[in-house]
Amino acid sequence: MQIAEPLAVAIEELSKLPSIGKKTAQRLALFILKMDDDRVDNLLKSIKELKTKLKSCSRCNNLSEDELCEVCKSTKRDKSIICVVEEASDVIAIEKTHEFSGLYHVLGGVLSPLTGITPDSLKIKELLKRFEKENIKEVILALNPDTEGETTSLYLAKLIKPLNMKVTRIARGLPVGGDLEFADEATIGRAMINRLSI
Amino acid sequence: MILASIKLKNFRIHENVELKFAGNLNYIVGGNGQGKTSILESIYYLCTTKSLDAKTDSEVVRFGKEKFEIRGEFIGLTEDEVRVIYDKIEMKKFYLLNEKQLRKSSDVIGRFPVVMLTPADHAVTQGLPGQRRKFVDSVISQASNIYLENLLDYNRTLKQRSSLLGKMREYRSTEMMNEFDAWTEKLIETGTELIERRIKFIDEFSLYVSESYYRIMNKKEQPSIGYFYLNGFKNLKVKEHFTKLLKEKKEDEFRRAANLVGPHKDDFIFTINDVNLKTYGSQGQHKTFQAVLRFAEFFYLKDITSKTPLFLLDDVFGELDAARAHKISDYLKEVGQAFVTLTDFGNFSFLKKDRDDYLIKLNGGKVVYA
Ligand SMILES: [Zn+2]
Repeated sequence: MQIAEPLAVAIEELSKLPSIGKKTAQRLALFILKMDDDRVDNLLKSIKELKTKLKSCSRCNNLSEDELCEVCKSTKRDKSIICVVEEASDVIAIEKTHEFSGLYHVLGGVLSPLTGITPDSLKIKELLKRFEKENIKEVILALNPDTEGETTSLYLAKLIKPLNMKVTRIARGLPVGGDLEFADEATIGRAMINRLSI
Repeated sequence: MILASIKLKNFRIHENVELKFAGNLNYIVGGNGQGKTSILESIYYLCTTKSLDAKTDSEVVRFGKEKFEIRGEFIGLTEDEVRVIYDKIEMKKFYLLNEKQLRKSSDVIGRFPVVMLTPADHAVTQGLPGQRRKFVDSVISQASNIYLENLLDYNRTLKQRSSLLGKMREYRSTEMMNEFDAWTEKLIETGTELIERRIKFIDEFSLYVSESYYRIMNKKEQPSIGYFYLNGFKNLKVKEHFTKLLKEKKEDEFRRAANLVGPHKDDFIFTINDVNLKTYGSQGQHKTFQAVLRFAEFFYLKDITSKTPLFLLDDVFGELDAARAHKISDYLKEVGQAFVTLTDFGNFSFLKKDRDDYLIKLNGGKVVYA
């Protein structure tokens, strides 16, 4: 079957998005084709601005519009506790629970020799620097409870312990192997409250 | 719980076939190439998401077709419909329970427990240690999700750790040593849990093995299973010993860039009256022991999970002497629902078909209930 070139390209590009198969991509492309020009422009603009207006917070590596993210800027947060997470999406998941009022630190991944992710490729040095500059008393390791996440927690715990800070990790209430991002809010909330000392 | 029916589409030789099953014994009879074994294989898929011996899912798809589908109807306290679909082109497998997709194997395994005795079981008593670990792991995994999760976690840790060891062969920085220590700690954490669970399992399972052995052999012989772990260590301080061995082998591990200590090196030793089966057993003793292990697995899972496993027996009567075969056939009357493949029912005079049992004949794609 012959498909007009622009349509074929659009389907191809859309199907590169996560959880979008060929069929869904085709449906989306045909839907966009029928949309008003204004709406298409708004969609394009919002996608473009995602890339141009958002950057990483210079302190915690969370997504941010400015130099510092909303959490780091806030005066209402407890600045003596840092919660270490893998990705910015985990910050969103934990914020939704309203169970945590401290600061974050986004590592940008977890250790994985198989895929070549070393301590250097993560924001670990930046985290250690924060311990020197800021007055941190407790660190919560909230990495995903899978093989790599747990090993990264063990690695961090070894580095942090000699610095005389309280180190805890979130309770194993989360579905094993389940991503923080996909766990429901109540579960994450419970896991934050019942954290364990390492 | 029983499997009431299955429907197969493009599954091995079966283009489109539907079978109804009895709640007790189902004898599936047919000549070579009629697809008896693939009926059992499809049932195994429904219970575990995978084949017992096929290396890939695509080899199971009927020649020239793109995907297979297995549909099974389980009836117990609830009625459940399971569908397993494999798409060869997209290389994707779907497991649907009542039309809801289950994504993790640990969500499936143990839900409908299954035990299968096949000629390939010779590897369990006669093959390499890995085959015995596979046997033990598959039994405990069906009894405990936590064990299965822990096993997957451990295997993933092994892969990551050996990848890191490979990198450290060329160059070792302090940072890498710290990372190595973290992976080692993870290895000890998950590995210790595995070993402790296996110790407990062998302890419990041994009773079931003895019981099944007496039923099939009717002799005053004592079978037993020994568990060999951490270089033959026998002490309950597993973690301490594991840690110590890893320290001792550290340089070796760096040199060979391989994981040298842990439950992935374990073995299980079967004996009869303290004589090692693997080394001294006769062919007949091996066959008997393989059947004993599967009956033991059946009754163990039944007690632990409070569900009656499906029992699949592939072509086992041809290889046993008449006395053993007779005993096993009697024993089968106690298991609940079983599926037994045979080339010809008439050849086995000791087999009894009760009124409620099914005799299902497969011939050239046709199904006849005799
Ligand atoms: Zn920030």
